[in-house]
Formats: sequence, structure tokens, C-alpha cells
Amino acid sequence: MAKYASFLGCQIPMRLPSIEIASKKVFDKIGLEAVDLTGYSCCPEPVISRLLDKTAWLATSARNLVLAEENGLNLMTLCNGCYETLAETNEVLKHEPEELRKTNEVLKRYGKQYKGKVNVKHAVEVLYEDVGVNKIKAHVVKPQKLRVALHYGCHMYREQPGADIMRKPNMMKELTRLTGAQVVDYGLERLCCGYPSMQADEEFSLKQRLMLKLSRMQEAGADAVVLSCPACTIQFEMGQVMLRQQGVQFNLPSINLMELMALSFGVPSKDLHLEFHKSPVLQLVQKMEAV
Amino acid sequence: MTKPQNRITEHLKRELGTDFIEATSPRERRIFIRIMPTGLRKAVTTLKQTYPELRLMTISAVDHGLDFEFLHHFHINGAVVTLRSIKPKEDNTLESIVDLIPAAHFIEREIADLFGIKLANHPKPEPLILSKDWPNDKRPLRRPMEGELPPQARPSAETLISTSCVAPISTFIQKKREEAGLPRTPPFAFTDDKTMQEFQGIMKNTGFANKAGYDWEKKRLRYK
Repeated sequence: MAKYASFLGCQIPMRLPSIEIASKKVFDKIGLEAVDLTGYSCCPEPVISRLLDKTAWLATSARNLVLAEENGLNLMTLCNGCYETLAETNEVLKHEPEELRKTNEVLKRYGKQYKGKVNVKHAVEVLYEDVGVNKIKAHVVKPQKLRVALHYGCHMYREQPGADIMRKPNMMKELTRLTGAQVVDYGLERLCCGYPSMQADEEFSLKQRLMLKLSRMQEAGADAVVLSCPACTIQFEMGQVMLRQQGVQFNLPSINLMELMALSFGVPSKDLHLEFHKSPVLQLVQKMEAV
Repeated sequence: MTKPQNRITEHLKRELGTDFIEATSPRERRIFIRIMPTGLRKAVTTLKQTYPELRLMTISAVDHGLDFEFLHHFHINGAVVTLRSIKPKEDNTLESIVDLIPAAHFIEREIADLFGIKLANHPKPEPLILSKDWPNDKRPLRRPMEGELPPQARPSAETLISTSCVAPISTFIQKKREEAGLPRTPPFAFTDDKTMQEFQGIMKNTGFANKAGYDWEKKRLRYK
């Protein structure tokens, strides 16, 4: 049985606990042991904190890696942003001795040291590589007859230099198909949802990023968008609310891959508490259940 | 033989104690000595007593957004010595050294005019180059009270430093989590004093909180 330290991040437990619930249900069903990381902090988020102070960014992230290392476990993230921070920190600390020395100098004050023994994986990778397609397929008892557009999220493309950036997105696509959903192509899969640019220019973020994606998804006849990143989910959900306030009507359900997977495993929607969503995920799922 | 800059540095280190922060010498006969603002007058007094040939060259002020940096430049025996002290902008005062070095009289008043800084213990704290009715909130060299973070990034940074996560947990969410069979709060650093001290220690010791402009007493950023 695969066993990982589970890094929940900030947005999932605080804003979208339905993803936390769904992932627990999925992991239980497929026999993946996900151990909560006691005492963890924000990864920290990969935009503001990295730009403001790299040493603090590395040290805070390394502290989270140490918590997994102390448990003798590799780390699994459910959030693309957390994956970006933790995987990149891990690479830096494993390959740049001077950064490792500086980071451990900070951690030493708190009796901690990072030895570089942890591997960081996105939950998509863990499901695909550690659990495997066949095992997941065997648990699908309620195929989700939906046409879905995929938004992989920018940090999902993060790979070693020279490696195939579509490696994890392709895994996500295949996992989505396992749920019974039909993936529709809309041509703007790689475009950012606009979440990070929301901090700098709301108009640009909504009109030049999110709206373009939503329009193409709608044209492609998607019933919903499937995501793997809570920040992107927030952008899709709150962004649609903000667009409606400006007279632009979109109401596309934005569902997380874990939630879709849990539904396909036969978990009743009421057990997933999909009411945390700000887009009509609950309505879509109830409609599906009524069929 | 000990170089003059080493002698000056060692002397100030001894006299100032904890008010001495660090000294750097980028080249021969050039010294920057970083001191606490509380040690400014003591530093000037002891330098003057020890080096009677000391001469004030000028005083510079720099508005860094959240802090003022004051640079008192002295000439001592062919060496240029700069005392650097940084004060939070909320303090908004410059300790006058006119009673120790009369030549500081005009430059201190010029700084007060251009930056809107109040002079403490100056014999004539009146405008020098601006008119007496110059508006207080429109000083030519004063920047807005702002740190490095753009406005949209400030709430996240403040929440991160205060709580160890970027998304604050509301009572509503805690209740909903409980209803959904989850723990009221995930096992975040903030749920335990020791882990929170570790996290905030990193924020403090790496200088992150300082760069963000975080006020540890008020538990919020010094600017909105």
C-alpha cells in the first residue's frame, strides 16, 4: 500500500474542504494511505513570497519538507501551487549545496535540518504512477456521463528541464476519462486562468484570461470544467461571479478531479459537501443523480 | 599598524554596545557604520571627543517607503565615516545634533522641510527652504507610506505571517468542516504554539516580515 505525507495547503481546507473530503474518500477506496502533516504551514505560495524573499521562501518550504522527512515519507500535494513551491524547493536544495547550507542555517535554530530525502509528487502523479490506471478503473462504479473541459493549471506543467511538460497533464486527462467523463478539447488548455494576475490587474485577469477560456469551453459544449488546483478553482468560481456582476453571463460548474473521481467511485454527492463551491457543481451533480 | 578605519570602528563598537549593529568598509578610508537610532547622539559625542579634528560633511536622508534612513557623513583624519541609522516612518523624527555639531543646523532644517520630518531638540525648528505655509502633506521628497508589496498582495502576506497560511479560516468554515466530519481546523502550524513560533521565527529571522512591513505588536502590516 502506498503511503504519503499529505500536504493539504491553505486553499483546500479553508475554502474548498469538499476537495479534502473527496480526496480522503478516493484514497480510502484505492488503499492509498495519506498521513496528515502535523504543524505544516503555507507552502508558501509561489508568487508573492518567492519574489519578496527567496531565503524565507526556501526555508519555510524546507520546513514543510522536513516534517515529511521526519516521518520517513514522501510528500503528496493536492494543489498545483503547493506542488510548484515544494517541488522546486526540493530541486534547489538537492542540487545547490550553498542554498541547502543557507536554508539549514535558518532551520538549525529550530532543531531542524533538511537532508534531501523527500520526493514531492502531485496527487495526479501518485494516482497514476503509484496506484495505477487499472486499480482506479476497477473502482469506477458510477461513470459520470459528462462532457468536460480540462484546465490543468500552469504549475502542472512544471517538469525537469528537457522533460515532457505534458506528462502530468496527460495523466490528468487519462484519470478524468476513467471517471466516464468525455474530455472535450477547446484549444486554450494551456492558457493561465488569470489567478496570479488578479493580484495586479483584475480587468486583465478576468477579460484577457478567464473569459477567453470560459467562452471556448462553452463553445466546445462542456458541461463542466475539471481542475486539479484550488487556486484555479477559486478563479473560475469567483471570476464567474465577478463577470456576472459586469453583465457577462457564465455559469460553468468548476469541479475538482478528486470530487469527480469520488462521484465515479459511487460516493453520494451529499457526503462530499459540494455546497462549498461557488459555481453550480452541486446542481450539476444532483441533476446527474436524478437521471 | 592598525588602519584608521579599524580604529574608528573598534572605538564605536566598544562605546555603543548594543547600539552598534555593523561596520563595512568598501574601500580604503571609507567606513559605513550601521547603528541603532538610539545610539546616534552617543556616537557623535564619542567621535567628537576622541577625534577633535572631526568635521561634519553633510547629512543625507532617504525615504524607503516604510522607514527613513539617515546618513551622517563625517571626515576624520582623511577617512570618510558615515553613521547609518534607520527609523520607522511612524516615528517621523530626526534627533538633532546641533548642540554637538553646530554645522548640522541648516541641513537638519532642510531635511525637515523636504521630508516633513520633525526635528527633536533643534534650537530653531522652523522652515528653511519652504515657505511657512507649505502644506504638511505635500513634502517634495516624501514618498507614500508603502512597502514593497502591491495592494492586492498585502492581505495574503499579512495573513501568511499572522497565521502561517494565506487563507484565513472563518468560524463558518470551521463549523462547516465539523459538520462534514473533518477536524475544525487542519493541522496547521497555528494550532500549536511551538510550531507557530518556528514558522514566525523563520518569517522574522530571514527578514521576510521586515521586507513585507509587518508590525509584530499590532499583528498587521504597517500599511494598507
